[in-house]
Amino acid sequence: MSTLVSDVTAAPVEAVRNPKLDQWICWWSIPIFYNLFGLIFVYLGKLMPPPKPGLSQAEIIEFITSNKDSMQTAWVMLALTLGTASLSSGLIIEQMKRMKGVSHAFAYTYLTVLAVAALPGCLFCGIMFALAAFRPERDAELIVLLYDMGLLSFVGSLGCFVTQYMVFAFAIFLDQRRLFPRWLAYMSIWGLVTEFIAATIWTFRSGPYAWDGLISFYLGTVIFVLWEICLVVCLYKLIKHQPVEELHPAYGGAR
Amino acid sequence: MTIAQATQIESEHVPGDKDVWVFVLGEMVIFSSYFFVYACLNRSVNEPVFAASRHHLNQTLALVNTLILLTSSLLIALSVQATRKRDYRVATRFVELGAGCGVLFLLLKGYEWYAKLSQGITLGTNAFFMHYFVMTGVHVLHVLIGLVFLAILRLELRTRAQPRVSLMEVGATYWHMVDFLWFLIFALLYLMR
Repeated sequence: MSTLVSDVTAAPVEAVRNPKLDQWICWWSIPIFYNLFGLIFVYLGKLMPPPKPGLSQAEIIEFITSNKDSMQTAWVMLALTLGTASLSSGLIIEQMKRMKGVSHAFAYTYLTVLAVAALPGCLFCGIMFALAAFRPERDAELIVLLYDMGLLSFVGSLGCFVTQYMVFAFAIFLDQRRLFPRWLAYMSIWGLVTEFIAATIWTFRSGPYAWDGLISFYLGTVIFVLWEICLVVCLYKLIKHQPVEELHPAYGGAR
Repeated sequence: MTIAQATQIESEHVPGDKDVWVFVLGEMVIFSSYFFVYACLNRSVNEPVFAASRHHLNQTLALVNTLILLTSSLLIALSVQATRKRDYRVATRFVELGAGCGVLFLLLKGYEWYAKLSQGITLGTNAFFMHYFVMTGVHVLHVLIGLVFLAILRLELRTRAQPRVSLMEVGATYWHMVDFLWFLIFALLYLMR
């Protein structure tokens, strides 16, 4: 038995053809997920750019019924694919755990906040619009309520992501290995500030701070997209340059 | 090294690191978009409302706050100079005084908000006060982040045998930016007719 165990642990490095395949799968899930996300929210769901908060009851009913079929497709797709986002979270915390002088608690906090924030920021909105699109014959007042609940939750819950940005920035600043560049930490502070401002959408039904506002929605979205692109590029470089010795023993590493 | 060479190196030195300058320039773009929306899109169409609302603001209090932040910036600059001269005890004292000014600014801002809210003026009163509360609120958030930066500088000065001048410069750059942004907000909200 002991011989068998030592044989397994002493497997030669060349036995594993692509020791980083698992991380590359996670990395590729990011462009795939965001393309699906764009298809669901922009093309099929018609929520980006968001419809106006001040629509009349008749206009809201018209918005739902005229886009009923594409919305139904969108929300079924969302339910089936939202889990894909977890692969990128897994990859980020794997890389955060490589940092030196930073507690793993930060990585776990990042993961937990993302998991919690995705509920109001993505899934809840999807469920509200699915309810409206699959049951358009319901009372008009209820459809209006679902419309409001969906969009207020979609943009108004951005504050939930504040801790994610904060803990990520802290981890980058504290990391003695300097795995992620410092400017990414500063960019996270931009993200943090714009997410704070999104809280104003609960008060305003028009203008720059409404849910379709120039500042609360468009500025926040531009910064998020920029941050996400930079993060994806940094993750690519990190995986590419990660020494094989740091990988799991089963993949030829010594950890 | 000749004096000319030393002067050249001195003049080419960018305080802090390049990363913090990426941050500062990005912040300028973000704040410019608030200022653009305020001054060009909303103020121009609501001019009478904006002019009437501006009279409800306490200009004296805002001026005092401006002077407090300017003093604070000076103290942090002096702290960087003291660090360069390896006078860490004095540098620590300047950081503490600078942070104290930051806290004083927050207390006065809190009083100003309290006075507005107790008069029944809120975020939803009109477009001017929407901008007033959001812009001053975002600035307060920056002051709070700045105080975290200053706490890190104090920790660096007190715990390291050789505190890093570059880190002091990063903190000071951020703090000057917070000061500069307040200057713009003060001019746009309180003074612009």
